[in-house]
Amino acid sequence: MDNLQLLLILIVALPGAAFLGLALVWLLGWTPPERVVARITATTSIVTTAAAAALAAAMVSRGTLSVRAPLGHWFTAGEYDFVLSLLVDRLSLPMVVLTTALIGIVGAFSVRYLHRERGYFRFFLLLHLFTFGSLLAFTAGSFDLLIGGWELVGITSVLLIAFFDDRREPVRNALRVFATYRIADLGLLIGVFAMHYLAETAAYQGLFTGEWPSQGTEASTSAATIIGLLLLVAAAGKSAQMPFSGWLPRAMEGPTPSSAIFYGAISVHAGAYILLRAEPLFRASPAAAAAVVATGAATAILATLTHRVVSDAKTSLAYASMTQLGIIFVEIGLGFPMLALAHMSGHTVVRTLQFLRAPSMLHDYHRMHAAAGGHLGRTGEHYHGIIPPGVRLWLYRAGLERGFYDALVDRFATAPVLHLSRWLASLESSSHDSAAHPAPAAAPVTALARKVEG
Amino acid sequence: MPGSLIHLDSLALVSMSAYLLFWLITVAASPAKDFTGSNRTQALLILAGTLLGYASGSVWLFLLGWTVAIVPAILAPTQGSSAARAALIASTAALALGAGLTLTPGHSARNAAYFAFLAATLIRKGIFPLHFWLPRAFETQNLSLLSLNINGHLGAYLLVRYALTMSPEAAADTLPLLNAITLFTSVYAALLALTERSPRRILGLLCVSQAAFILAGLENSNVEGVTGGLVHWWVVAFATTGMITVYRALEVRTTEVAQPAGFLGLAIHAPRLAAFFAVAGLALIGLPGTLGFAAEDLLFHGTLESHPLLGIALPLATALNAITTLRLFSTLFLGRRSTLVTPIPDARPAQRWALAACAVLLVAGGLAPGLLVSASTPAAVRIAQLITAR
Repeated sequence: MDNLQLLLILIVALPGAAFLGLALVWLLGWTPPERVVARITATTSIVTTAAAAALAAAMVSRGTLSVRAPLGHWFTAGEYDFVLSLLVDRLSLPMVVLTTALIGIVGAFSVRYLHRERGYFRFFLLLHLFTFGSLLAFTAGSFDLLIGGWELVGITSVLLIAFFDDRREPVRNALRVFATYRIADLGLLIGVFAMHYLAETAAYQGLFTGEWPSQGTEASTSAATIIGLLLLVAAAGKSAQMPFSGWLPRAMEGPTPSSAIFYGAISVHAGAYILLRAEPLFRASPAAAAAVVATGAATAILATLTHRVVSDAKTSLAYASMTQLGIIFVEIGLGFPMLALAHMSGHTVVRTLQFLRAPSMLHDYHRMHAAAGGHLGRTGEHYHGIIPPGVRLWLYRAGLERGFYDALVDRFATAPVLHLSRWLASLESSSHDSAAHPAPAAAPVTALARKVEG
Repeated sequence: MPGSLIHLDSLALVSMSAYLLFWLITVAASPAKDFTGSNRTQALLILAGTLLGYASGSVWLFLLGWTVAIVPAILAPTQGSSAARAALIASTAALALGAGLTLTPGHSARNAAYFAFLAATLIRKGIFPLHFWLPRAFETQNLSLLSLNINGHLGAYLLVRYALTMSPEAAADTLPLLNAITLFTSVYAALLALTERSPRRILGLLCVSQAAFILAGLENSNVEGVTGGLVHWWVVAFATTGMITVYRALEVRTTEVAQPAGFLGLAIHAPRLAAFFAVAGLALIGLPGTLGFAAEDLLFHGTLESHPLLGIALPLATALNAITTLRLFSTLFLGRRSTLVTPIPDARPAQRWALAACAVLLVAGGLAPGLLVSASTPAAVRIAQLITAR
């Protein structure tokens, strides 16, 4: 194993080790103080960022197109072999560098931002797990392994949305986001199975020929369409594209640093990453590519309408992110992977900065106006001239209602499933002995206590 | 079928070791009141019966172990447990009938014995439409003892050790239908749990759904699916134990948890119980880094390979169970805790160590699943050969 391979393993393993170590000592009874947590986080971030920079510099100077680190067989049963293999190429290298650097910045920001917060330790614990998950997803050498990182990113995202768990709304929104993720992730799970079934492998080396971005595939058009559409479902879920876009504004309940790193930077771009990774399949299937374009375009239009009318800063940024991701999807669907990658990289950095500055936005706003010596002109005026007033009003209403999106999803997706569940339960309860479950004595006391506390 | 009274192959040895560990963790982590007086004797009877069942080389000895293991549940004077009692007696009767039929020579007798064993398995595992007793038992019985009983998975053991060997022809004919029923059960129970409010019933429905996963895996005609079923067997045992013992710990501390009227916010007083519950729950739904991931990965591939369309039920049921598990976690542990309600204590040291062992097993097993997968593969190869023998 050469130095580049060792660097790659170190980058992925270090945050995982930090998470496991901190979790274990906490479970056994010791909660590390803030200073210890901050130092461990800083050390981990500095080492991983330096290692990522060294890896990038070495690859560029040597002209290396990709580095693969085979880690053996994770488990084998019958004809199924789960191979562990890490890969850094021209697609994953920018993502790795951005992930390590931005998480380091957000970590440093959070040390002060969350000082003396009740969930301080929990936040950093989850940040390490998220770092490990996202690096694993970006450096996985196969879609099998990518699922591992993908799911870890999802669960840490949900747990951080519920960070302020003493309020009801963050908890409810976390549940909603989790439900959306799980349904969308079915696309990835079934898509990976389809790869094994149709192409007999889910490893990038087996699925694609050559080096990214000039890869090809030997998959048939029908296989590429099936796999591509299933991956699109997963990508749309993670990148908050239609029909799964409703979760992103709800995710803004989490602390600002987690909003920055998850929904401005890394997590939402994982969906676009998986489409870029499977880009040869979309080139082989015009139908799947068209679906990617349609999904991105529809989301971009809806999100930009909503972004212009929502009143709180973080939600507005969430819709702005959604708009850019929609455009990135369109770029991928139209066959411009390098443009999409450059767009992703730039968007990641800018949006992280915007999210981190969001709590100080009013201050920034007044400072800009003061510096300009008066009020700056409103943006978006040029649209007003070309849209008829009636349509403008309707679009404004649609924007305020967020495209009536949540109402439609609730009416046609969530409600039928819940009704079915309740109907089945009512069938079961006809033979159910409710007398065996008297109401607990403490429930009224708790309810009364809540009422007294307001 | 094994000829001697005692038959210790890799399946039996892995099962015995894992069950013994599982039993010790359950007893150490559960509230002390669950294992006082006659309950202690009952726990020992369940242990003895289950280990005897695993070690048996004869169906009669297996019947003895099965009966010893369920005697406590049948004799338990718990209110409202008549359905569980009836189901367990019916499953034992079916097993005894099957054992009796093995004494009769002839092909049709063997087929009849197979179907009797199958009936015993389906009742014991709570497969639709015979699932009703299990969630009800969860609501009314001593959860710790119930967990020891159901997580031995003697029903699944009966299927792979005796039923499939009894009549491979009948098995080959019935397994496609059986697979469809178990897949349906996994989704049906997951759907029921989606809007259920009673935590005990939710835990029961999760167990029904996940136990159906095990059978769905074992009924596959490929090695990966069967191996997934065998590994998932122990994921369900350890993960549900973690969840059940944490829930019992909460139940003895506050009665609010029986019918929660909103988010209870117990994590503020019991953060470690919350963490153990989360780890166990996430392992049950197959989070990467836990043993559940490897089990479900194998299960999905095996089942989808055998049944490309029907097999979609498994990931769907997993998704629904995941939503339910997080909802239960949120209800119990998240939300604002009233300052006027007496604080509850966190995990006791003994509980903490036992639950930490459970969490470490689930996570270490997830990081290095090869050991358990390799240990399960020889048995899986034999089972898959039996299924494809015709």
